[in-house]
Amino acid sequence: MPSVEDWLHNPLGIIQGIFDQHGDSDLPQKVGEYFQNRLEGKDALAWVPSLNDTPLHHLKPNSLVKFRCMVQDMFDPEFYLGVYEVTDTKLGAKSLRSGRYKDIAECLPHQEIDLDSPQNVTLDRQTLYCVPVPGENSWVKQGFTNSSQARVVPSTSYQPVRNKRGLEEEEDQTPQPNNNAPSTEGPNCSTEVSDTPEAENTEAKRTRTEDEAGALPSPIPDLNFPLPGETGPACLVKVYQSSDSLKLNDVVEFVGVLSIDPALATFNSGTGETGTSAYEDGGDMMDVEEQAAHSPPPSLVPRLHAILVQKLVHTNPGLPVDLTTPAAVSGVSALMSEVTQIRQQLCSLLTEALLGDSLAAEYLLLHLISSVYGRRDVVALGKFSLNISGCPRETSYPQLLYRLLQDLTTKSHFLPLTLANMNSLRITPKKDYTANRLLSGVLQLSERTLLVLDETQLEPGQLQTTGVMNVQALGTAVQWQKVDYDFDFHKTEFPCNLRMLLLSEGRSLIQTDCQVPLQPPSPPSQLENMFHRIQASLTGDYLAKVRSYLTVTELMEYTLPEGMQKVIEEDFVKMRSDDPKNMTAEDLHSLLVVARLLALSVGQTTLSQEVWDRAKQLETERKTRVKAQPQPQARS
Amino acid sequence: MDVADRAVGHNLVKDDVADRCQKLFQDFLEEFTVDGEVKYLPDVQELIRPERNTLTVSYQHIEKNNQQLATTISEEYYRVYPSLCLAVRNFARDHCGVPTSKEFYLSVTDVPARHKVRELTTGKVGTLLRISGQVVRTHPVHPELVSGTFICLDCQSVIKDVEQQFKYTQPTICRNPVCSNRSRFMLDVNKSRFVDFQKVRIQETQAELPRGSIPRSVEIILRAEAVEMAQAGDKCDFTGTLIVVPDVSQLNTPGARAETSTRVKAGAGYDNEGVGGLKALGVRELSYRLAFLACSVEATNPQFGGRDLRGDDLTAETIKKQMTEQEWQKVYEMSRDKNLYQNLCTSLFPTIHGNDEVKRGVLLMLFGGVPKMTMEKTGLRGDINVCIVGDPSTAKSQFLKAVEQFSPRAVYTSGKASSAAGLTAAVVKDEESHEFVIEAGALMLADNGVCCIDEFDKMDPKDQVAIHEAMEQQTISITKAGVKATLNARTSILAAANPIGGRYDRTKSLKQNITLTAPIMSRFDLFFVLVDECNEVTDYAIARRIVDLHSHGEASVERTYSVEEMQRYLMFARQFKPKISKEAEEFMVDEYRRLRQRDCSGVSKSSWRITVRQLESMIRLSEAMARMYCQDEVQPKHVKEAFRLLNKSIIRVEQPDINLGTEDEEQQQLDGGGDEILSEDAMETDEAQKSADEPPSPPKKAIRLTFDEYKTLANLLVLQMRRKEAETDDGDGGMRKGELVTWYLHEIENELESEAEYFEKQTIVEKVIERLIHHDHILVELSKIGLKKRAGDSASSDPLQDKDPLLVVHPNYVIDA
Repeated sequence: MPSVEDWLHNPLGIIQGIFDQHGDSDLPQKVGEYFQNRLEGKDALAWVPSLNDTPLHHLKPNSLVKFRCMVQDMFDPEFYLGVYEVTDTKLGAKSLRSGRYKDIAECLPHQEIDLDSPQNVTLDRQTLYCVPVPGENSWVKQGFTNSSQARVVPSTSYQPVRNKRGLEEEEDQTPQPNNNAPSTEGPNCSTEVSDTPEAENTEAKRTRTEDEAGALPSPIPDLNFPLPGETGPACLVKVYQSSDSLKLNDVVEFVGVLSIDPALATFNSGTGETGTSAYEDGGDMMDVEEQAAHSPPPSLVPRLHAILVQKLVHTNPGLPVDLTTPAAVSGVSALMSEVTQIRQQLCSLLTEALLGDSLAAEYLLLHLISSVYGRRDVVALGKFSLNISGCPRETSYPQLLYRLLQDLTTKSHFLPLTLANMNSLRITPKKDYTANRLLSGVLQLSERTLLVLDETQLEPGQLQTTGVMNVQALGTAVQWQKVDYDFDFHKTEFPCNLRMLLLSEGRSLIQTDCQVPLQPPSPPSQLENMFHRIQASLTGDYLAKVRSYLTVTELMEYTLPEGMQKVIEEDFVKMRSDDPKNMTAEDLHSLLVVARLLALSVGQTTLSQEVWDRAKQLETERKTRVKAQPQPQARS
Repeated sequence: MDVADRAVGHNLVKDDVADRCQKLFQDFLEEFTVDGEVKYLPDVQELIRPERNTLTVSYQHIEKNNQQLATTISEEYYRVYPSLCLAVRNFARDHCGVPTSKEFYLSVTDVPARHKVRELTTGKVGTLLRISGQVVRTHPVHPELVSGTFICLDCQSVIKDVEQQFKYTQPTICRNPVCSNRSRFMLDVNKSRFVDFQKVRIQETQAELPRGSIPRSVEIILRAEAVEMAQAGDKCDFTGTLIVVPDVSQLNTPGARAETSTRVKAGAGYDNEGVGGLKALGVRELSYRLAFLACSVEATNPQFGGRDLRGDDLTAETIKKQMTEQEWQKVYEMSRDKNLYQNLCTSLFPTIHGNDEVKRGVLLMLFGGVPKMTMEKTGLRGDINVCIVGDPSTAKSQFLKAVEQFSPRAVYTSGKASSAAGLTAAVVKDEESHEFVIEAGALMLADNGVCCIDEFDKMDPKDQVAIHEAMEQQTISITKAGVKATLNARTSILAAANPIGGRYDRTKSLKQNITLTAPIMSRFDLFFVLVDECNEVTDYAIARRIVDLHSHGEASVERTYSVEEMQRYLMFARQFKPKISKEAEEFMVDEYRRLRQRDCSGVSKSSWRITVRQLESMIRLSEAMARMYCQDEVQPKHVKEAFRLLNKSIIRVEQPDINLGTEDEEQQQLDGGGDEILSEDAMETDEAQKSADEPPSPPKKAIRLTFDEYKTLANLLVLQMRRKEAETDDGDGGMRKGELVTWYLHEIENELESEAEYFEKQTIVEKVIERLIHHDHILVELSKIGLKKRAGDSASSDPLQDKDPLLVVHPNYVIDA
């Protein structure tokens, strides 16, 4: 039986072993089972180094690694030699080797690969382009790093393989790992595009500046992160099974064999130079751009041959990955016993952050746990985009508020709706047919990401075509919870599940499901200090509980009991007969969502009369407020 | 072609299967006859023309002729293809003296099974396949070297027919036995043979795409006559086979690096010298590139969403052929469904409550009328345009979204955010080539589909004008920056608009409620008005639905037919081109006359004029109705429904219980031509006191009359009165009201069955007369005047006259019956 060291450092050897024993049929399954068993041990997974927080040059090629990421693009299936035959040049003996989980066919020095052997089997595998989870907040990354047990010692045996120049480049290109440089992390915000990034030499930023300059062909391909300013490695993940169950924008943890053999880059540059015959421009069937996108140097975009694939429902490091295991369930119920208290505290915290407005705080809390839970026809059920209007003028209030929310939520992004941003940012992903890949956009985010749109920074001015399209795209995302990806010849709609929070002075430009005008009891002053104080009070255990609370409540199942359904129907008819204008079908939709979120926020999985009444009360209060606002003009 | 020469080249290995196939295929070409004529002989004779080199053969024909041959071709396509090409060449040589050096190619069509891009797996390599997809990229056409003639640079001997396979291949060794040159050869371009070669890339179509996935793509290699057949954006079928392209760099010997390469890799910064040696050690990359070698290109037919809703040259029969037995059975079942109309409506909009008329209208829009061409070659559109006007939150956008989602070729756009350029087409300057190109707008993108425009009223009036042409002529002309073009925009428009002030004001007419100009309005076939009603029953239903939705989520979507079933049915039904039957025609003329009548009668002062456009609408709607039932003939019942819908749509305001307080509104609706609702007054009310602004009193019971009935009745009465007036020449003319009522009742006596009915009719006719006097002012009450005129005998009859006034028809009133 191989030791721990073996399966961690030489997974390919084990795979070849399994292959020798069982042959190629069902190989991915058998390999998966084997590693699943290995990893089931206590904290075994923690021993596997993660691509997310380990610099690439600290990892050994062909060792087992894990990667927490979002599927950003899906490439065409790749055909490869699944089984190939090698001939021993000395002995003349032939043997079969498995081509799975590797990019390069290898053999011992005295062996030779027989390419024409009838024993060779061609198979196909799926390639996914994965990027680190966009908008993942620094505390999440930190949390995962801390829980990792893997000791990453720069391997000495590895270095000689690389040529010198590659190493140097590597050093300054590899994204700074978060544990080493938390200061470079900064808040996840897109700054004004015209701003030149600071001196930090992080990968993404460099790419960006070069893109803007657009002059020389950059040797570093654009890593295609949805959000500007993101860091971390992108990875080409090769999937051997269950690739159809993976969807675009899914958050997945892959465990697999790392492949960063520099030879990969050689093959590509080789093909690039040797086009001949009528295929001169296509003998290799790829264009320069396409090549750059599909086969970037492995030092920048490593390949990962996935053995185990797990979709992540949440990315909260404080909670077990699977919330249904008995251990996790007991942990959750322990948390739930304190739910009232946590909610209370969180509410007062948010109240303070919202300048003392408790109603807005209540709504913000509901917003933070909202999620689309079903789609019927064109309607997305459970969407709860929130517009907090009446934000103090000319202050950094939105940023301050966002910084607080960043500490609470796992994934978030702050997007100032400035004219420059609207006119220049790529909001919706677009297919680039030259490079044959999907250019990412700000709206290509994984489920349940909080997207804060700051409208207070909008100024009157000219919106160009891109700007109009961008605003439209944001509107569609807010209203229908879907994004139309631009495929040039047609648009394909991808459902999304984003929490869209709009901060604005007046009513927002984009129509949201719910608008709460901020009515602070006292004029805001000393905002910076106040937020500093709030954040200082958020510490340790308490903070961890609040974070877990938000994650657990957003994932709870919810049902509407028969009895309450009746009550709701009657209430609706009654409210309509009282004032039909105040209670439309839309209103009922949002009322039901509010009731649902309210119930979840207090840890209940069914609706009770009490919560229903509270929901109605909240909505009435809110509507009164909205009505009191000066309305420029009826809109629809 | 590289492989074509395999047999004639220096390949000494004989492939028995291929040889057999060649013989059998040649036999097939010789033998296969349709109607006593050798099917492919004329085609082959065509090939003598210098620009032709490809023979197109139907796979079905091969199958019919020789099942075994067909199977072999299908399974071993790549292997036998060169032999098949040889067979074509021999056949051509035998029958028409083509030059011996000419190469011929075979193009196989009509391969039954079709595959999606996603289904291309390793198992399919080498077999004959048909795949469909959307062309996303085309490369320029190049000549490809098929067979090279080389000159040895050492001994000058000529080496002919060096077969080229995917790459530039030099002879391995000079043929001259005494010359041992292995590397220095020169290609004699004039004596080598080339073929046109083009690379295109296709991508999975939207319809085939699994949810949440990125479309896959595959490179297609086209040769000979198949080049330049596909343009970017086309949806095409390609027949051919999947091949694994060998890695050129692997095939190349290190010394043979060609100087032809012009490209310098962008990523050249990564010096590979250090690891270059690895390759020599026998390490190699495992993956291959995949390509599809296609021999024929055809436009995709609609089943896979190619031509979508409109397949102009398709017949029901061909569509049927493309369906599986099961699918066909379902379509057949659907066409026999008695409740088809209703079922389709509910299946189309399962989440929208009520609004049945709108659903019907939209459904008919999807079926569409038959486009026609007049003698002068003017096209008459068949597409039906629908506009929904309504209060906020009345599910307008949901209608649009649902249609967008359902219809394979639909575009959703908002009037607020799109300029005319974005909606129709714009001329833009290409950044790279600095050429002007036409960029398709929403309307063009929806060609042959539906263009859903939300917030139509928010559109700039300028832009509204820009889509005039698109709506009626179905084309878009642009003249900008020296580019002049007329583009097709054969699209139905489904628009949603908000009334002025956010709410529909029932006291005003439709025209006054929306900011659309009359020309635009008249281009819509159907107008629907949605008003947010407050009504306990509907409220309950709405609440029920919404609560249901929230508590059961996705499971609660109830559709009689699935989306796919409906799409298939729609596709099938749209192939019908119903003709209008004699009876239907008469009926239509009749109904149109009535509509016109109403228009001119002054009843409908506020609605727009009924013009030929409405007649066209009626025809289109009737055709759509007939299509829906898969019938070849428009029957009166279809016209009836079309007329009803047209009538309702012109203004349709759902009316709650009758309330005299809102009489004015009712009157407005009547003017618009909607449902006629006559409020029933207490009979005792003194007629003489009645005036337009009569104080409201609670109604006893409501009597409903459709506008038609009302109109018919009114015309009948007016006619009778005119007749009477003509009969009596003595100035006072006219009839007593009672007289008129009695006359009417006498007229319809034999239609009545019970006494109750008699009284009911009596009430109705009295109400109608009442209305004609007070609201429409068609009849004039002469009670007072009469008093003055005939002072003598008036005193005693005063009370009677109040109850039973003398009536005359307004002198200016013209019946257009």
